Order: sequence, then structure tokens, then C-alpha cells
Amino acid sequence: MAQYKILGRDPYWMNFYGLMILTAIEVGAVGADMSSTAEALNMSEDGITLWILTIIAIPKFFMIAAIFMHLYGDPDSGILTMTALFPAFFIIIMILFIGLTHPDAATGLPAWCRPGTWGL
Amino acid sequence: MSIGIGLFLFVFAGMFDYDLELSEHVYTGEGLIWMFVAIVITSIGMFVFWRQDLSFDGTYEPLATGSPFKNIQIRKVGMFVFLMSEMMVFTSLFSTYMRYRLGLRRCDDVFADGLFDPVANPTGWQEAVPVTCFEPASHLIASSWWHLAPGAVNTFALIISSFTIVQALRYAKKTDIDEELRRRRVTMFLGTTWVLAILFLTLKMVEWFVGFYIPDLGFIHEHEIKSLVAEGYTIGADHYQHHSYVDEATGAHMTANIRVSASTFYVTTGTHGAHVAGGIIGLTYMTYKAWRGGYTPTNAVSIEYFGLYWHFVDLVWVIVFPFFYLY
Repeated sequence: MAQYKILGRDPYWMNFYGLMILTAIEVGAVGADMSSTAEALNMSEDGITLWILTIIAIPKFFMIAAIFMHLYGDPDSGILTMTALFPAFFIIIMILFIGLTHPDAATGLPAWCRPGTWGL
Repeated sequence: MSIGIGLFLFVFAGMFDYDLELSEHVYTGEGLIWMFVAIVITSIGMFVFWRQDLSFDGTYEPLATGSPFKNIQIRKVGMFVFLMSEMMVFTSLFSTYMRYRLGLRRCDDVFADGLFDPVANPTGWQEAVPVTCFEPASHLIASSWWHLAPGAVNTFALIISSFTIVQALRYAKKTDIDEELRRRRVTMFLGTTWVLAILFLTLKMVEWFVGFYIPDLGFIHEHEIKSLVAEGYTIGADHYQHHSYVDEATGAHMTANIRVSASTFYVTTGTHGAHVAGGIIGLTYMTYKAWRGGYTPTNAVSIEYFGLYWHFVDLVWVIVFPFFYLY
């Protein structure tokens, strides 16, 4: 169990409150009318929602991993965090090179970056 | 257990066949007997595992002796390695979703192109000619607070359940309370986690298959919230019609082939739901063991290891909920 405090209070309770508040903001952001903000920022409303959801999801992810899963503050946190982060390399490959590529990428590549047939 | 689960998955997949004429999967019943064999093997494995664990009092908790995990409990390291592989599974599903979501045009964008006209709008959509496009489930789910309610409640349920499992661990580790109080508190917190997990799956079923009805209560107007399946949002939907895809001038409906988008939604959220279901099986046993007073400060780590799995399930939902339900 955690030996530290957050703002002088129990870290699990504080983490719980934080997660509840962030989730409420997330749900609220979807229902909120952000057309004027979108116009001011020259973005689509969907784009703003996506940014808000992404910005909120990241701290939520770390709050659960660091505090609830004890990846912060325990004597063995360091090596276990490294273990948990091991698939990060594969995740980056999958997200960047599969998730973000266009479906036509395989056939629609420009000629200069297509491998030749090597006479076969 | 691994053999049983492996056999189950192989046989289960073979029990359905894709019917091209009906455009849907049909149950063939092939290998039913093997499925029962798989269930029996898994059940026996689970029974033996739990029978051994029921008397485990933490006397012998094996520690790793080699670098880099020296002096860390082997079971804990094993759980993290397992979670690593789980992370890969969900990343594959998520990257698939991103690939299609970013690669296909959104159905509402296609609809905004307008009705086909050979002269004025040659690139528009045509009635009764389905367009292959991406229709995110959030178009239905985030269309009103009532539609969103099951998913939102589920999000809060999972966060609360993550907290209750931590509380169960805390009370199991407490040395300054008497045994009876510890037994009651650990049972209560594990039981609450179990109830919240059941609530999660129940609401998932409501959202997918059942829908719900809100009567007129004066301060709340009457609402009938259809399930996703009733709305036509299915894996085999090649003539999907969202109620907003109607050309106002002519009354023509745009139909869409949304198999890809529905598949990514159901497979990802379904895989997550299967993990919750697996957690329920584990929690059922653990609540029983806690009720028997089986958790003490010396063997409380078992709750911690299960907690790691349960927090991971919550972690995945933190990503799934905004990107599949809200955006």
C-alpha cells in the first residue's frame, strides 16, 4: 500500500475523487455546445471534443496506473513500470504505422517508395 | 485451464458460419460436444486451482531470485507480464479502429455531399445504393443524455469498483483490527466490486440488445431508448439507415454499409466486456474466500494481484469510453 500522501490526504481517495471529476468533465464536454469556441479557434466542434477527450484520458490513464496499480511509490515500482512499458515500442509501431496509415497505403504509395520486382 | 480455454475458443469460432445469401453468421452447432468438453476441462482446472488457493495462507510466497526481478513476488511479475500481453491485444484492436476511422469517410460527411443528380451533383449519394462509410457508434450513443446513460454509468461503476478493490486490499492488510471486522470489510468491498461488475455487464446488454423506457414523470419527459441492435447498428448492416440521413427536399434515405465500423465497435467493447466477465468469475470465488475469512495480512497479496487485472480493465475502459462512445 502507498506510503505517501496527496495534498496531505489518502492517495486512493484523492485518486478516486480525481477520476470521478475528470469523467464528469468528459461526459459534460460531449453534451456541451462548443460551436462558438470552435468558430473562434477555426476548428470543427468534433475536433475540439476529440482534443478535450484525449487531454482528459491521458491523466486518467496515468492516475490509475501510478496510484491504483502501485506503479508509483512502492519499492518495486521502477522495475514493474519498465515491465509494463515494454510493449510501448510495439504500441507505437501499431498506432503510428498501422493506425494512422491510409487504407490505400499499400497500393497507393508513390512509385519512388515502392520496392521493385527485382526482375522476379 | 489453458487447454480448456484454447479448445473452447477454437470450437466456438467453428460453430458459426457466414451465410453469404443472408449476409449474417448462422449457428451450425458443429463441435458442440467439444465445447462441453472444453467447459469441463476449464471448470476442473479452475476447481483444482481454487481448492489449492482456498487454504493458501501466504506462508510460502515464492520470490524471484534472479535479476532484474530479485526479491519481487513471482506471481506479481507474472501478472505484469500477462498484462503486457493484454495491452498488445487491446492495442491491436485500437489501431484497427484508428486505421478505419481515419481511412474511411464518415457517413454524415457523405450525407452532407447531398443527393445524387447527374448534372448538379454527380458525386452525391443515391437512394437504395449503400455507401461504404464509417458510422461511429457515438453518432447514436452520444446523440442524447439518455442514450449515453448506460455507458456513462458504466464508466463511474468501473472507477468505483477500482476503488473498492483497493479498499478490500487495504482492510485485508490491516493488522490493527480484529479478524471478524477484517472478514466483514473485505467481503463487503469484494462483494461491492462484484455487484458493480454485474451492473456493468447488465447495462452493456441493455445498451446493445434491450434498450429502455422512461415514462412521463412530469419533470422528465417520456423517452424510449432503442438498443443499438434495434437501431440497426449491427455487424452485418449493409443497408443501415440513421434517422437523420434523410434528404429534406425529396424524402430520400441514404443507406450505408457500416459493417467495418460496427465490427470495430462490437469487437473492441465486446473483448473488454469478456474481460469484465472473466473478472466476475474470479471475484465470485474471492468473495466466497473472503466470507470464509480466508484473507489475512499474510496472504492479502492475492487481492492485490487480482486488483492489478481489474485496474487494467478499468484502464482499457478509460481509452475505450471516450473514443468509442463519446467521439
